[in-house]
Amino acid sequence: MKGAGGQGSPVPFLLPALLIIFAVLIFPIIFSFVVSLFDWPLSAGGGERKFIGGGNYVALVQDQEFWNSLKLQLGFIFVAIPLELLLGLSAALLLNREFVGGKVVRALILLPVFFLPVVSGMTWRFMLQPRYGALNNFLLAMGAPEITWLGHPSFAYAAIIVQDIWRMWPFVFMLLYAGLAGIPTDVLEAAEIDGATFWKRLFRVILPLMYPTILTALLLRIIDALRIFSEVYVMTEGGPGMATTLFSLYTHRQAFGYMKVGMSSAMAMFLLFISIVFAVTLVRKNMSLEKLEDQGGNR
Amino acid sequence: MTLANKRKTITAAVMVFAVLLLIVELYPIFITLLNGFRRDIVILSGQKFALSQLTTDSYMLVFKNRQMMKAMGNSIVVGLLSTLLSVGVGAMAAYGISRFKFRGRNALAYSFLVFRMLPQMSLVVALYMMFRGIGLRDTIFGITLAHSSFNVPYVIWMLIPFFTAVDKSYEEAAMVDGCSRFMLFRLVFLPLVAPGLVVAAVFAFINSWNEFLYALILTGTKARTAPVAISSLIGGDTLTWGQMCAASTVMLTPVFVFTLAMQRFLIRGVAAGGVKG
Repeated sequence: MKGAGGQGSPVPFLLPALLIIFAVLIFPIIFSFVVSLFDWPLSAGGGERKFIGGGNYVALVQDQEFWNSLKLQLGFIFVAIPLELLLGLSAALLLNREFVGGKVVRALILLPVFFLPVVSGMTWRFMLQPRYGALNNFLLAMGAPEITWLGHPSFAYAAIIVQDIWRMWPFVFMLLYAGLAGIPTDVLEAAEIDGATFWKRLFRVILPLMYPTILTALLLRIIDALRIFSEVYVMTEGGPGMATTLFSLYTHRQAFGYMKVGMSSAMAMFLLFISIVFAVTLVRKNMSLEKLEDQGGNR
Repeated sequence: MTLANKRKTITAAVMVFAVLLLIVELYPIFITLLNGFRRDIVILSGQKFALSQLTTDSYMLVFKNRQMMKAMGNSIVVGLLSTLLSVGVGAMAAYGISRFKFRGRNALAYSFLVFRMLPQMSLVVALYMMFRGIGLRDTIFGITLAHSSFNVPYVIWMLIPFFTAVDKSYEEAAMVDGCSRFMLFRLVFLPLVAPGLVVAAVFAFINSWNEFLYALILTGTKARTAPVAISSLIGGDTLTWGQMCAASTVMLTPVFVFTLAMQRFLIRGVAAGGVKG
């Protein structure tokens, strides 16, 4: 623990941050929990609030739309993230060599990650429009029929997944490429000289060495995917019907569509709990304070 | 085939693959850039692209759109204010965590990390009711404060390694000279971690600049920020794709410039849960 250990009190330095965190993070969580125990309509002042204990949680369990949104959310995670990891890993392995323009390719390929989520959602919505959308133009040119992609439940669901894969696999690539570059070249070369085939090297040498990085990428993506909202909201608004109403979108709809703040808060608590489990796993495993402090040395 | 030849073939194949990847990944971005220079009516009528369609009309409409300009102004102000607030407060906290020994130090650092990763959706309803109760809804201050809920933990996380890297001898020398802890922080540490402050500030600004959900719920006509304003260009009967693309391009430009300029810090910047809207 280099550096740490001065005398004096850290409190004056920590206090401002703690106050802000309390006001806009801790307190809202506590408040949310309290609200989740009430039948609490959104309307300003006029609505009647009634303490119902676990009533909202029971109602949620009995609510088919809740299970539907959970199912869509899990499906989203289970389809999008493995594909993102696979694409990211393959690209990292392939692009991990010197070639003309390699640096430029590796930089440009990251741009989608920095595409504003809202703009990404809108652009995909634009590309998937009938008549003038880019995808339909392409299909028409190939002689295929025109499809109203976002008007069809399964296509719309597929579309929000494709949007996420398009935007976020380069993020996985970025992490894994850095992890790969961190493996000492003599380790790789030794395996190569031993005559190990590519697959053997991949499974025996590369993947085990990259395991921490892959785990970090996986957890980061799960945490991120759990809270996906804006892209989908502007792309489909959760529709058609409830076909793309992922967890956050349903939470939003409970509060601002059905005006049931209590129900919405109960959902928020549920999401919060799951996210904390994943976040704590990630932090404990791969982002400890010691690791952060180590990074200080080599920059 | 000799080994060298084999290597050359592989490299060539990789280059082809890389170009294909780039085309797929950059195509939607290209679509946005291109259609900002076409008029809404041309896009909607489904005309095939022709060079003669290129015009800055959509940009002109965006720049003349009072609400949009106000929203962009708000985005800049909220971005700057929340960056200032979170870097100021976050630098102090990062210093407190990395240069003091105290009980619960690890737990505190961990909690800040976890806080950064909490879903906004789980907070926004409570924030909405709180802000409505105390008159902060639809104010610049309110949305700035809301953005600090993710930017403060973010900045702390970004800055801890920078503070830890400062050599102990600086501290000891200053202490001997009778510096107080606060003077030490301001006069010795802040200049030494200045590069870190810049990186953290840039990413904090981008976080705020991209943020959508808080802005959607916590602002109305007065404090609305650009991402929400852009989303309102599409929906129902208004399908002003040209203007949407033009406004989006304006929003994307600073983000892309910063990212390409900050390659070296991207991984830490993004892994901290950076660019999420």
